Amino acid sequence: MDLVWSNMPFLLKGAYYTLLITIVSMFFGSIIAVFVAIARLKGNWLIRWIARAYVSIIRGTPTLVQIIIVYYGLVDYGLKLEPLMAAYIALSISIGAYLSETLRGAIQAIPKGQYEAAYASGMTPFQTMTRIILPQAIRIAIPPAGNTFIGMLKETSLVSVITVTELLRQAQLLIAQYYVYMPFYLAIAVMYWIMSTVFAILLERLEKRLSKYE
Amino acid sequence: MKKKRFTFMMMLLVVLTIVVTACSTKSQSDDHKEEKTDLLQDIKEGGTIKIGLMGTYQPYNFLNENKEMDGYDVDVAKELANRMGVEVEFVAQEFSGMIAGLQTEKFDAVISQMTITDERKEQMDFTEPYIKNNVKVIVQEDNTSITSKEDFVGKEIGVGLGTNDETYLRTVVLPEVGEFNIRTYDDVITTLKDLDAGRIDATINNLYAIKPVIEKNGYKIKAVGDAIKSDFAGVAIRKGNETLLKELDKHLAEMKEDGTLSEIHVKWFGEEPQF
Repeated sequence: MDLVWSNMPFLLKGAYYTLLITIVSMFFGSIIAVFVAIARLKGNWLIRWIARAYVSIIRGTPTLVQIIIVYYGLVDYGLKLEPLMAAYIALSISIGAYLSETLRGAIQAIPKGQYEAAYASGMTPFQTMTRIILPQAIRIAIPPAGNTFIGMLKETSLVSVITVTELLRQAQLLIAQYYVYMPFYLAIAVMYWIMSTVFAILLERLEKRLSKYE
Repeated sequence: MKKKRFTFMMMLLVVLTIVVTACSTKSQSDDHKEEKTDLLQDIKEGGTIKIGLMGTYQPYNFLNENKEMDGYDVDVAKELANRMGVEVEFVAQEFSGMIAGLQTEKFDAVISQMTITDERKEQMDFTEPYIKNNVKVIVQEDNTSITSKEDFVGKEIGVGLGTNDETYLRTVVLPEVGEFNIRTYDDVITTLKDLDAGRIDATINNLYAIKPVIEKNGYKIKAVGDAIKSDFAGVAIRKGNETLLKELDKHLAEMKEDGTLSEIHVKWFGEEPQF
């Protein structure tokens, strides 16, 4: 056990990268999700088809395979990415697909009346979407999206295979050094859990704030 | 609202304490189980010996075109099993989990270029060496700035996770030479691929390992300088199985005597063993 405490700074460095990757991927993933969700609802035939294909491919392939393809596979086509960058890209694309479905469902849950009232007030479709629909949709999307985000926090452990020194990799390095397994794996499990719980609390707060006017 | 959060935090604290205490009691219990039945006997009766190896380390242990395990380690294993009068079953395992796999009886022995080190000897038993490896620095073909481990300073150096090379880099080279960044990979193929791609500046491995990837995959890499160290690899088994150890050592000695080991060495590396 003292092994864990004496190496805690090392593990915390890993936790830092885990959080960093989660937040960056969440951010870009959300942006992708908004575009893809709207594309599926409001786009023309071609745009809708591209969005559907994107969601289908990304949801239908293991995230680990996607990460490996982005880092190792693309090298064969001349695209060499640093591990952290590859992690951001692969995970953003991955989370974007799942989030877009959540967002699409949330948008569809907004009653038609909102659109009609907005158009009647003279708003353009763009204004309607950004000022009326999306703010309401986001509130509806938070519980399922929260699920995805917390899942993503743990999915970051997959990028250990492309040499990113996030939490799982740090534990593996320590195990290779000290030859004991359980203390380290239990320790990082607890750390993942603490991070997930903090996320969950923050998301709960966010949801409360957005429902102030309900 | 405040009360709910407080209760939640208390629960968290309680669970954490439980985990911490469970942790400390577990680490005190001894790992070494007393084998009630003799492992060697079990193997002979069962007719199969399970050998753990990476399966991704040409030319030592890898999958050939017929999707069978092949390589120096594989041939040595097959020969040993033959002399013991049993069949051999290969279990593929990433090196970082190799020791764990052995201890949890996923396989009976490891024949996967596992270097004999004092730290490992505390966890398991090794036979006499069955190969000697000369480890050299490996860089890209057109790299002239790195010619020895002294030139590692400030560079990105790749190595396999959990290997004695990694330990060597961290405990010997790093203090000796200065600061450099160590990147760990799960197998040799990805390490060499990243070297070829230029994402790492150098790695250390032995000549035999890079020849096949240069020839087959056309990687532009080369070995530079003299050998920085020599490692001996042995067959690793769990502690407490002296009869198995004696049996393996006996057959290895026979193989060295009657020239079989030499034959296998020449088949894969084109030269006689030097130990």
